[in-house]
Amino acid sequence: MMMWLHTLSALLPTFPFEWNYVRTIIEVSLYVSVTAVLISTLLSLPIALALGFTEFRGKRAMTAIITTGMGFPSVVVGLIVLFTVSNQGPLGSLNLVFTREAMILSQIVLAAPVITGVSLAAVSSIDQNVHDAAYVMGGTRLDVALVTIKEARYGIATAVLAGFGRAISEVGGVLIVGGNIAGPDGTSKTRTLTTAIQLEARQGQFELAMILGAILVVLVLVVNALVLRLGDDGDRGGVRGR
Amino acid sequence: MTGVITARDVTQCYDTDPVFEGVDLSVQSGEVVALIGPSGVGKTSLLRLLALFEPPSDGTITYDGVDVWAASESQRLTCRRRLGMVFQDQSLFDASVRRNVEYGVHVRKPWPERLRRNVADFFGSKNGTGPAVDALAVVELEDAIDRSADSLSGGEAQRIAFARALAYEPDVLILDEPTSDLDPRNTDLIEQAVLEASRRDIGIVMATHDMNQAKRIADRVGVLLDDGIIELGPTDQIFEHPRDDRTRQFIDGELIY
Amino acid sequence: MSIQRRTFLATLGGSVAASTAGCLGSFTDDTAEGAITGEELTLTTTTSTYDTGLLDEVNAPFQDRFGVTVDTVSQGTGAALQTARNGDSDVVMVHARSLEDEFISEGYGVNRRDLMFNDFVIVGSADDPAGIAGMEAATDALETIAETESMFISRGDNSGTHTKELGLWDAAGVEISSGGEWYLEAGQGMGEVLTQADQQGAYTLADRGTYLSMRSDIGLEILVEGPVEGGPEALMNPYGIVAVNPAVHENVSYDLAMAYIGFITGPVAQEIIEEHTVNGEQLFFPESLSENPNFDQYVPEGWRNEENDADE
Ligand SMILES: Nc1ncnc2c1ncn2[C@@H]1O[C@H](COP(=O)(O)OP(=O)(O)OP(=O)(O)O)[C@@H](O)[C@H]1O
Ligand SMILES: [Mg+2]
Repeated sequence: MMMWLHTLSALLPTFPFEWNYVRTIIEVSLYVSVTAVLISTLLSLPIALALGFTEFRGKRAMTAIITTGMGFPSVVVGLIVLFTVSNQGPLGSLNLVFTREAMILSQIVLAAPVITGVSLAAVSSIDQNVHDAAYVMGGTRLDVALVTIKEARYGIATAVLAGFGRAISEVGGVLIVGGNIAGPDGTSKTRTLTTAIQLEARQGQFELAMILGAILVVLVLVVNALVLRLGDDGDRGGVRGR
Repeated sequence: MTGVITARDVTQCYDTDPVFEGVDLSVQSGEVVALIGPSGVGKTSLLRLLALFEPPSDGTITYDGVDVWAASESQRLTCRRRLGMVFQDQSLFDASVRRNVEYGVHVRKPWPERLRRNVADFFGSKNGTGPAVDALAVVELEDAIDRSADSLSGGEAQRIAFARALAYEPDVLILDEPTSDLDPRNTDLIEQAVLEASRRDIGIVMATHDMNQAKRIADRVGVLLDDGIIELGPTDQIFEHPRDDRTRQFIDGELIY
Repeated sequence: MSIQRRTFLATLGGSVAASTAGCLGSFTDDTAEGAITGEELTLTTTTSTYDTGLLDEVNAPFQDRFGVTVDTVSQGTGAALQTARNGDSDVVMVHARSLEDEFISEGYGVNRRDLMFNDFVIVGSADDPAGIAGMEAATDALETIAETESMFISRGDNSGTHTKELGLWDAAGVEISSGGEWYLEAGQGMGEVLTQADQQGAYTLADRGTYLSMRSDIGLEILVEGPVEGGPEALMNPYGIVAVNPAVHENVSYDLAMAYIGFITGPVAQEIIEEHTVNGEQLFFPESLSENPNFDQYVPEGWRNEENDADE
């Protein structure tokens, strides 16, 4: 999929800005946010299913924590992650400060509550009958969970997209833990679209900042369209709505 | 008397009040047992116990002599996979009719095969499996196989739900008012399907509000009233010569709940 | 350091990136290459050195020569030193001598070198409401701004420029903490502050480099020159470079840091600094090469005098 970027660069010999710079920034943004969202989804779905299915003491408290997490300010998350991965922090020995991995970590903390919260709402809205049917037809606990995920697929896709939107458009966290690093040849190491926009605006390069902003918006739109298309394709013959 | 499935001295409580107490019920291969009783008396609750959704508050459920809730998890899964159930309310998956009807067969397959199948489906393969087509034939809906579940009418959906339970050839079918809200034609189709299933040696237990339906298709009838099954016997005897006075009153519509 | 980082990459890359390989293939390849060729050196520095493009010009030949990637994090002097205190960077390039001295005195930094200098200027709108244009002493200019309560925008971000500005107010005898509405703290980088000052017709203290790089976009003018153009010494803006003490943070790449300090204070890099221009103007003046080195650059200012005082 990243091929189109290379193709596009060939088509754009007159691109007014350092194309390598823009391309690597897009790549870092996508790599960090997509990875963070994938990991968040793997973490969030089981939690959402467990919360949606079972009754236990403290469930309300946990739901409240998740809801709070959905609105957690990204700079605060960035600070907390920085303290965690800093040489002085608990994960200091991994040397993660100013790396993409630290940015992924910070985005996981940001995206996971959103994905959990929205998935939980989607999973909870699935009729008890549907679980019962899967169970009674001989489904194991895993089968029932899978059926629930499938039934809630549009809600879950929305959750993943909301998480992706939060991750890729967030600036505070990645700036603090990533350091906004790009090499002398303009190759981005930890510079994302958002931190680049901030930097270019600070340097008065408003045109480039605007172009990066437009790319960010287009990227989010494309990812949204792709995910929703995928959701439809995976369900041949299943027309929506009851 | 023991059968494929037997409930012995079963009590079910929600919170502390028992819905029913000391219920004995057994279903043999190939017989149709109808459960009648007023709304809220616990018919659905009893059927759910038979379908192994949860252990009873007291008493035992056995499948072919195996005490299900004393058995191991995997033995219980084996027992569960011998039964099918059609629910009182709409319960089809938001997917194609094919997916719905094949689901029971699907979950019984080993994982590698299931994954292969999912991949094949994603690329549009549509080779129908025998049992699914056969089950759809029983409810006369073979043509609906590629429709989506939410495009079905209420009656069609109920018939698909029935076919779905039949497709993996269970030993016991549990039907919770399978014809409520259906017109006479659809009701007849379902009743014929029930009889067809019993001819295939499937034991059937169904809850119904329709006395005539019980008369038409049941071999035996159990009357669930007050705190338990007050009377259980051959259909003729229950309707012609009820031993309990409350049975006669309920059948005649004199009991108002 | 980089070995552990590589292990983590491999683990993460193996499990997670594999699933995204479809769309990110070209990118993960690049990463693998980078990890093989080189070690990394983390430099924390101020926004002024980075935003003027100087570091890109200096770091490219360093990377070619040593095969070491320099990760430049531009933060502002206070944050850059704090990051180094936590052992999260290997070398620091800043411009606030008092803060550098503190850093060294606390044992976090070793082998400080003078690197280069430029100067600060006091800028404001052309109509100059306080009438400070052409004043000889920076302190007089600030005193006048305070007396006339003309609007002044401060960086307010604990940067080198901010530190310098506070020192100047102090020298001018103005109590900023009791200052009125005319004194605003932006808490932002030099670029943002210049833009704000331009829009609000306010005064501010700016480093000449950033001012020159933005001059074409804003209407601010230099009202009090710095020493580069014959203004007062008080507006001198010296940059220093310090390695993080490996005895305090054993994970830091001390040898690479020293290689970097050696390179940037050596003839090749010093010439790059000399020749670096933005819009035709030289921004920084190299200061490392001297036949008569200034011994004060290695230790906190006045350190030797303190020792002597103690001896007497
Ligand atoms: N999960 C539950 N928790 C608490 N009470 C329940 C639960 N399920 C059923 N009940 C109660 O148990 C009683 C029996 O309910 P059940 O659904 O078995 O009745 P029913 O005979 O099937 O009625 P209907 O003919 O209306 O379907 C009702 O009073 C119902 O409110
Ligand atoms: Mg019921």
